[in-house]
Amino acid sequence: MAGVSFEAVTKRYGDVEAVRELSLEIADREFVVLVGPSGSGKTTALRMLAGLEAISEGVVRIGEREVNRVSPRDRDIAMVFQDYALYPQMTVRDNLAFGLRRRKTPKADIESRVDRAAEALELGALLDRRPRELSGGQQQRVALGRALVRDPQVFLMDEPLSNLDAKLRVQTRGEIKRLQKEVGTTTVYVTHDQVEAMTMGDRIAVMNDGRLEQAGTPEELYERPANRFVAGFIGSPGMSFAEVSAEDGGLRGRGFRMPAPPTPGAAGGGELVLGIRPEHVRPWRDDAGLAGPIEGTVAYVEALGRETFLGVDVEGGDRFIVCVEGRAGEQPGDRFRFGVATEGVRLFEREGGAAVRQAEPAR
Amino acid sequence: MTVRREQYFTYLLLGVFSLIALVPIVGIIFTALQQQGSLSSFGQPDGLHFGNFADAWREGNFADYLRSSAIVVVAVVAFSTVFSIMAGYAFGMMRFRGSSVLFYVLLLGLMVPLEAFIVPLYYDLRDLNLTDTYWALIWPQVGVSTAFGTFWMRAFFSSVPRSLVEAARLDGSSSWHTLWRVVLPLGRPAVLTMVVLIFMWTWNEFLLALVMVSDEGLRTAPLGLAFFQGRNTTDFALLAAGAVIVATPVVLVYVFLQRHFIRGMLTGAVKG
Repeated sequence: MAGVSFEAVTKRYGDVEAVRELSLEIADREFVVLVGPSGSGKTTALRMLAGLEAISEGVVRIGEREVNRVSPRDRDIAMVFQDYALYPQMTVRDNLAFGLRRRKTPKADIESRVDRAAEALELGALLDRRPRELSGGQQQRVALGRALVRDPQVFLMDEPLSNLDAKLRVQTRGEIKRLQKEVGTTTVYVTHDQVEAMTMGDRIAVMNDGRLEQAGTPEELYERPANRFVAGFIGSPGMSFAEVSAEDGGLRGRGFRMPAPPTPGAAGGGELVLGIRPEHVRPWRDDAGLAGPIEGTVAYVEALGRETFLGVDVEGGDRFIVCVEGRAGEQPGDRFRFGVATEGVRLFEREGGAAVRQAEPAR
Repeated sequence: MTVRREQYFTYLLLGVFSLIALVPIVGIIFTALQQQGSLSSFGQPDGLHFGNFADAWREGNFADYLRSSAIVVVAVVAFSTVFSIMAGYAFGMMRFRGSSVLFYVLLLGLMVPLEAFIVPLYYDLRDLNLTDTYWALIWPQVGVSTAFGTFWMRAFFSSVPRSLVEAARLDGSSSWHTLWRVVLPLGRPAVLTMVVLIFMWTWNEFLLALVMVSDEGLRTAPLGLAFFQGRNTTDFALLAAGAVIVATPVVLVYVFLQRHFIRGMLTGAVKG
């Protein structure tokens, strides 16, 4: 096993910079998720690590070794592709054994490794089938197995769950995480799905427009986003934002006013953006210790069963997402009063969107 | 009702086209089976004279011609298939500097007709002492067929998911191994279609054989047929029998491989 490091890595296609000065340390045995919207450079970063794309600038290391000019097959990595890339003319057994045979692994060793992987992934009964005779989920497991048997230094996964249906995706998510913990192989996992990132990664690296916006544990990213992009990208439903001005120890928005969070430096004056997650925006109750009340009109109702999210437009045009436990009786168009738990308030600069202060995590 | 009418119309149209294609072929076969010396193709048959084929075979010396054709065709198909697969893989799968310029240069081989360069080619081959040998028939046709074959195989390789090749690379496979063991097995229809097409074109090639060889023993079947026709200007039955003999191998190859041929023609046209 080995760690991975990107040192100021840049990838250019002509004039376009797909990845800009990416610096990221991934520890041995760590599961790191690269997440970001499409075109953010996450897959390009992964492909540079795999050796499938040349590096324009910077250094990529696997363990201590610089691999910029090392061919993919000599990097000792295994990759799971989005479309699985199984060899269609080979049986599952041959698919699993292919990489080992190419590396001249002794026959008995190949057999035992294939059997072990097949057992771990419940592929035993499918070993003599060809990929086209398998369901999507089974093909996905074969792709995982092909990486697993190789016992490489690093696993690379490029959106491996995106072709599965929602239920199977959740199930496989857990499976991958469990397998990774079992074998302890350093893993770099690319996805655009922030739920996948939050549930799977030991650490998450959020990318946007070729840049690394923030890397940290899921909790850090959720509680202390480094900027407005990360704040908006992580969490579902996303954070609500409203432009505010700091004045007299309070925050004034276009259609509301509230006391500033009780941290020094927060309201040093100036134009800011307030960010607040739905769970910190609740229906108004006098005794709940919330800042408010703020009044607005319900724009939409999303009932998920255990909780309901209301989109509420306040005067001035800002929209807050309110979390209501259980079912809510409101209908679009109703007037609605809510309050804000100030410990959940995050503030960002209006220009550039950097976080103004890192509040303590809300409990 | 309209649907049914459309159906009838479709059948009618296809029927007419099939008829247009079939009439000459049936005419030749009919003529070949008539009594030697008779004059009309579809006129009063007086029995089927299969002996015509044996006579034509003997008199026309077709055993030699067909052997020459077979030697040339096998060599051309073998060389151009291997070259086309390798060049097509390079153009379709690998990124290298100048690939598009090189590809257009290669396409020239498809665009320029043999007639345009056969005279200088003759002098070149004569200087190399290759005229009147099989090589004079094989190499030029390998060149022309490889131009087409590369174009054809590149289209196939471009349609193969890139991730498959990348997976093989990560699994430790060399480009050579990836081509022959991972990608090519998927391209059987494309390769077989190419083989049929090159086989047909090489088999039917006339001008090159006419210019490059004068030795009777090196003449290919179409050339032999032409000389045979020159000698038998009156006996249509024998002429037709000779034509059927020369055409049969191509028909057999096509019938044998037609399932793959049709699938190969559709490769890339329909999403698999």
